[in-house]
Amino acid sequence: MASIEFVKVSKYFDRQPVIQDLDLKIEDGTFTVLVGPSGCGKTTLLRMIAGIDPQTSGTVLIDGKDVTRIAPGKRGVAMVFQNYAIYPTMSVRENIEFGLVNNKVPKAERTRLVETIGETVGLADYLDRKPSTLSGGQRQRVALARAMVKNPSVFLMDEPLSNLDAKLRVQMRIELIELHKKLGTTFVYVTHDQVEAMSMADTIVLMNKGVIQQEAPPEVVYRKPSNLFAAQFIGVPPMNIAPLGEDRSTFGFRPENAVLAAEPGSFHFSAKGEIATREMLGSETIYQVKTGDGRSFMVKCPDDIFHVDQEVYLGVPADKLFFFGADGNRIEERDARYLDFLERLRGQSHG
Amino acid sequence: MKTLEWKSIGQALSIVLKAAVLILFIFPFLWMISTSLQTLRETMAFPPTWIPASPQWGNFVEAMNAGPFLTYFKNSVVVTGSIIILQFLVMIPAAYAFAKYKFPGKTVLFGMILLAFMIPGQVTFIPVYLMMAEWGLVKTLLPQIIPFVSNAFGIFLLRQYFMQIPEEIIEAARLDNASEFNIMRKIMIPMSGPALATIALFSFVSHWNDYFWPLVMTDSAAVRPLTLGIAMLRETEGISNWHIIMAGNVMLVVPILLVYLFCSKHIVKAFVYSGIK
Repeated sequence: MASIEFVKVSKYFDRQPVIQDLDLKIEDGTFTVLVGPSGCGKTTLLRMIAGIDPQTSGTVLIDGKDVTRIAPGKRGVAMVFQNYAIYPTMSVRENIEFGLVNNKVPKAERTRLVETIGETVGLADYLDRKPSTLSGGQRQRVALARAMVKNPSVFLMDEPLSNLDAKLRVQMRIELIELHKKLGTTFVYVTHDQVEAMSMADTIVLMNKGVIQQEAPPEVVYRKPSNLFAAQFIGVPPMNIAPLGEDRSTFGFRPENAVLAAEPGSFHFSAKGEIATREMLGSETIYQVKTGDGRSFMVKCPDDIFHVDQEVYLGVPADKLFFFGADGNRIEERDARYLDFLERLRGQSHG
Repeated sequence: MKTLEWKSIGQALSIVLKAAVLILFIFPFLWMISTSLQTLRETMAFPPTWIPASPQWGNFVEAMNAGPFLTYFKNSVVVTGSIIILQFLVMIPAAYAFAKYKFPGKTVLFGMILLAFMIPGQVTFIPVYLMMAEWGLVKTLLPQIIPFVSNAFGIFLLRQYFMQIPEEIIEAARLDNASEFNIMRKIMIPMSGPALATIALFSFVSHWNDYFWPLVMTDSAAVRPLTLGIAMLRETEGISNWHIIMAGNVMLVVPILLVYLFCSKHIVKAFVYSGIK
């Protein structure tokens, strides 16, 4: 069990800054997901915690202790890599045991631990097999077992599910949530997949270009995104954004909050348009609506009642609208400008 | 129909060519073995004798008794074995550092190793001999061992091989609290079996067969290797005892064939990268 803290941390690669003066606190026992597009610095942060690619300046604290000068193997952290990084010449047992051998755990204790963990991850029958004879999912479990057996205070995971097929990924997601619940250890999980972030995290740390965009529980990131980036990164399809007036300020709404109808309705924002594309996904249908003035909005509907080229009226209630200032930050309801923006939008409504 | 004919002609041609190459390579060996079992008269006969009338196994005994054969053999084993062991001790850490570490002067140092790789022994043997003589080592086996402790070709080949091993595996080992020594011993070496076997074989063949270097560096039978001992069989009589020389040569070549039989599978692997998953 341990908390992790970054204090004024910077990282340069060949004099190129990747992260500058970053502060972040990851609470003890939480499942924290670092999410963002590739190159945003999320893996860099993870590797700093592990110590395999230390920060250029600043301090990383694990459980309040500065670990800058502590070797990766002595930090009490375990990591699961994207490509699993299993030792190919060792058997499953030797793979799981390797860390224990290096930590001079007695043989009897080692055997007991390996067999217990093997049982937990469902590899008991495979302990003497070579990794090359295992499937992708089983290799993933070897990597997990190898991390778990050391009983670390922090679990680091670098896109551990991205090499699995879609079905197995969903299953492993649930297993990881259960594992976290059972162990109660601090989990730090890196992914570029916002669905993984939303489904597993206690706290999402959303990053872009080395800067933290928002740090909040999933529902807060979804309902109250702090800026345009957060609004468009989380949610499928992403939030619809359209300009609002001359000053580069914008408004937006989520595809699932818009209502489509054949007749005009009485919504705060409404627009007349035509269905350009239709994606029928089973439980829901996603329409792309193109308005007369060339704007295009995605709308997610539970019913599949419209067809392509049909004329429709799109409406969004006032409480489902988001406004963003010229700087890209979201304007909150209590902000003085909020009502002004709401009024401006009413003036733009057509149909 | 026509293409089929051409195809079979092509196949026949390919078999003939392969057979020709095979004979070209295997003929000297067969000739050597045949001669080693002939009498002196048979070796001189014309047309040449292909299969000896009665195999003269005694030729081998004679070759062994012509000089301190066991000493020569022991010297060859000690020199070649020591070179290979010492080369591995130097080569593995060097290749690991060049493949996986960042340090100032890395490029220059690696360039120097490649340069050393290109300088032939004939250029350096006089200064090396003088140095060894000054240190009083000429009466020992060391002048045949020390100059070869660092194997530039081996460092180069092994570095290329190490570079293909994913970084994450080494990082995972560091997180598993493995020392750098254990990373080399338990991860890098087992994963580089084919490359190590190849380097060991090349090194074994070139030092087991080496003639020039020991000729320069030795001045007594006590430190001479098998190659020199067998060459000396020629000088024992006025006429060349080809049957005895060839018996000696067979004994020189057998260890190489044995080692090759064990290593050949790995050698193909080292050059045809099959991917590490």
